[in-house]
Amino acid sequence: MSEVTAHHDSAHAADGHDDHHEQSWLTTYIFSQDHKMIGKQFLMTGIFWAFVGGLLSLFFRMQLAWPNETFPILETLLGSWAEGGKLSNDFYYALVTMHGTILVFFVLTAGLSGTFSNFLIPLQIGARDMASPFMNMLSYWFFFAASAVLFLSFFVQTGPASGGWTAYPPLNGIRDIALNKGSGLGFDLWITSMTLFIVGSTLGSLNYVSTVINMRTKGMSFTKMPLITWALTFTAVLGILAFPALLAAAGLLEFDRLLGTSFFLNNIVINGDLQAYKGGSPIIYQHLFWFLGHPEVYIIIFPAFGIVSEVLSVHSKKPVFGYRAMILSLGSILVIGFFVWAHHMFVTGMSPAIGKVFVIFTLLIAIPSAVKVFNWITTLWRGNIRFTVPMMFAIGFVSLFISGGITGLHLGNSTVDIQLHDSYFVVGHFHIVMGVAAFFGMWAGVYQWFPKMFGRFMNETMGYIHFWGSLIGGYMVFFPMHFMAGVPRRYYAFDQFQSFNNFQDVNVFITLAAFLVMSSNIVFLINFFYSIFKGREMTEDNLNPWGANTLEWTTPVHPGHGNWPGDLPVVYRWPYDYSTNGNEVNPQNKPLEEGEHEH
Amino acid sequence: MGTTLLAVITVILFFTIIFLVAKANEMSSLGKDADEHMEDTSNLQGKLLFAFLILGMAAVGYSFFELGPRMLPLSASEHGDLIDSMFNITNVVAMFVFVLTHIILLTFAYLYRYKRNRKAYFFPHDSRLELVWTIIPAIVLTFLVFRGIKAWNEIFDFEKLENTTEVLRFEATAKQFGWILRYPGKDGEFGERIIDQEHVSQINELGINWEDPNSKDDFMANELVLIKGKLTLAKLGAQDVLHGFYLPHFRVKMDCLPGLPTQFMFTPKYTTEEYREILSHKKYWQKIDPETGNPKWQDFQFELACTELCGKSHFAMQRVVRVVTQEEYDAWVNESKSYYYTVINPDAAPVEEELIEEVIPIKEEIDSAAVSIVARVR
Repeated sequence: MSEVTAHHDSAHAADGHDDHHEQSWLTTYIFSQDHKMIGKQFLMTGIFWAFVGGLLSLFFRMQLAWPNETFPILETLLGSWAEGGKLSNDFYYALVTMHGTILVFFVLTAGLSGTFSNFLIPLQIGARDMASPFMNMLSYWFFFAASAVLFLSFFVQTGPASGGWTAYPPLNGIRDIALNKGSGLGFDLWITSMTLFIVGSTLGSLNYVSTVINMRTKGMSFTKMPLITWALTFTAVLGILAFPALLAAAGLLEFDRLLGTSFFLNNIVINGDLQAYKGGSPIIYQHLFWFLGHPEVYIIIFPAFGIVSEVLSVHSKKPVFGYRAMILSLGSILVIGFFVWAHHMFVTGMSPAIGKVFVIFTLLIAIPSAVKVFNWITTLWRGNIRFTVPMMFAIGFVSLFISGGITGLHLGNSTVDIQLHDSYFVVGHFHIVMGVAAFFGMWAGVYQWFPKMFGRFMNETMGYIHFWGSLIGGYMVFFPMHFMAGVPRRYYAFDQFQSFNNFQDVNVFITLAAFLVMSSNIVFLINFFYSIFKGREMTEDNLNPWGANTLEWTTPVHPGHGNWPGDLPVVYRWPYDYSTNGNEVNPQNKPLEEGEHEH
Repeated sequence: MGTTLLAVITVILFFTIIFLVAKANEMSSLGKDADEHMEDTSNLQGKLLFAFLILGMAAVGYSFFELGPRMLPLSASEHGDLIDSMFNITNVVAMFVFVLTHIILLTFAYLYRYKRNRKAYFFPHDSRLELVWTIIPAIVLTFLVFRGIKAWNEIFDFEKLENTTEVLRFEATAKQFGWILRYPGKDGEFGERIIDQEHVSQINELGINWEDPNSKDDFMANELVLIKGKLTLAKLGAQDVLHGFYLPHFRVKMDCLPGLPTQFMFTPKYTTEEYREILSHKKYWQKIDPETGNPKWQDFQFELACTELCGKSHFAMQRVVRVVTQEEYDAWVNESKSYYYTVINPDAAPVEEELIEEVIPIKEEIDSAAVSIVARVR
């Protein structure tokens, strides 16, 4: 704690300077301890992974749409994994596994909460930096190391992990490439990568929580904190409580693999040969995995909740409706979210009696979710809505969250889940609600805070093209999947089954739509990288381009390490004083006028 | 090579044009008054969102019309109807919420698009409104939970086994990449399994104890044969990795785990023949299959599939499921060869007459001709 205080003081002592130490290129851009630069590093790495993960999905979508065609381009790109231009079934499963791992952890966890927690928390609560900038830097570099190891696993001879992103044993629990090619070195690297990832994520989360608790500026009480900061704090709490369970599971799994223990294995017979494993249970792994795995979806969606609440309010120039109810609903989702994990396991052989408890908690979570949706909609009511690009993505998010969320009513109900478990209905459900919707939250955030990050604006027209391509394309990809409610997921081809082969036309349609989504995201990439260097500049006389109340817009165009050149801003009002008191915008650091009551 | 180059050039050109148009748009908007520009874009985007509502709902309607009939096959089991009715009720609730909230969301977006003279209404909270949309979902959810759990209790009410005199039992053990389907034979009792080095071997993967007299007439089947209207207990397991036992038409799904037995109980409603007859009235199934030249319904089969990722050929673990009448089933069992006497110890196989004699006392004891192959539940 003394280190933190010392840093805080030294920042104060440096009042009037942008930067309190001379920084070399290396410490500014690479080993930076500035939370803003670390946020950008998370964003860049996240975008890299999003592109890789998206590309992988195009490869396996091509296989699903045209299972009997060959594509010479695939052999050029993937070599022996696609001999003769046709994806091998081994590599198909590797692609599916890596797509899931990359998108869930590396993009929508690190890329989303890593970016915005780092970039926004100190700026919004009026702090010079994180509680421990050094630990914060470590958090990124652990994530980077995790990324490097995972990327490396693509180049292993037996290929990357291919037993599903959930890494269930025994398929992943026995180190035997005869059982599954990806269960060799590829999966050791997967576990190594996840371990590094969890260390990084925990370092970051601890930092975010301590920063929010200890480093709020004068006047920034908890009830004056912007909702996005609330959401990011809750995300960090979820991460701290949930990720250790995965670390434990991954560790025990590696013991089974390397040391011959039997935590998750019992009576395994391979080709009539009884293996020496005795007494473990694969179900215990699933409990450990989903104890993280379900809170993980809230780790993904909470930052998006926060971003969207903020963006909707700023651009309709109205306070977010039901501020306290929004915090309360986040809090109750956080708590209930820890008691729903086994709804992923209704038909795994877990006792049906336990299943009932999880049905109740799972459907209970729909109540705070419904409150959030209605509150967002009411925020728009009688607003004066500026349809900027971030606002479009925020509205798109609400639409997607509704569409993906309501199918949770089907899946959370164990009776219906008997039929829907592991079918394309599930794929459609979770991709809309925590894939596309979370991406929309992320994009809304990127477009909203791009000027603060880089001092420039992104191009609007390309932004709208990106939005419409992704919204229409996203729905075209995932909506039809709900009709494939009887078709199992993770199938390389459907020609073996009369029951599943009647959706070929739909599979072609979905793949074409996936190309549309990818194309609109290439437009995003062009826009993003071009605008960093050549976008329209933000000027000193327009420091608050969206007309927002929060503190980050009181910093200079290019805030240095320490964020505010002079004293830290003092907060007098809550962040949502829009269209009141005769002004559209009343920044948080504007003192209350005479006779005005604090909201 | 030429076409690849052409494709690459076309793609680059496509994105370049988008980029240039976008930059030109930005340039031209710079000259405009900021309020006017915001009014113009908000007007356009607000209208586009409203158009998205109309066209999107039309597309949703069309997809129900086009894909709805393919969504799930007609349920072929008794508990399947429970699942389907729960599914349909949830669909109605979900579609109502989906349509209602989208209409409100996108209509608000359209109605309140930016106008420079419009004043936003300061409306930070309203406890009554918030109470309304907490309580209404709570009531609906209570209803769904209540109905769901009621059906769930019924599906997993294993006491039914004790109240039913005749239960068909079979054992499905999954392995990479197929199914070992074991039937208890004419005595209706499975031979005991002992999983240790002594019993498990290449020809006895399941570790059946051949000392157990019940094991002698157990047989392995190539297809899953079920009896119409008969309560059936699937005893499930796996050899190597996790698998999933999935009968799409029967709404049966349960994971198969090595070293941890699971089970699922269901009652088939139609024989395969009856189900084909139902399908023969459906458009899709009346189409001619180009390979056989027959209408599709004639070659319809129920199927068994794997639903838990189990390795590279996970997608190919297919077995045919045949639902027959009791008589047909009895005949099939009679034809089936005991695994013990055909593979393990063919020399000990009794001659035909002896086999029949062995069966007769059991028949008398149970006092039913049909029951010989069906499990009696203690």
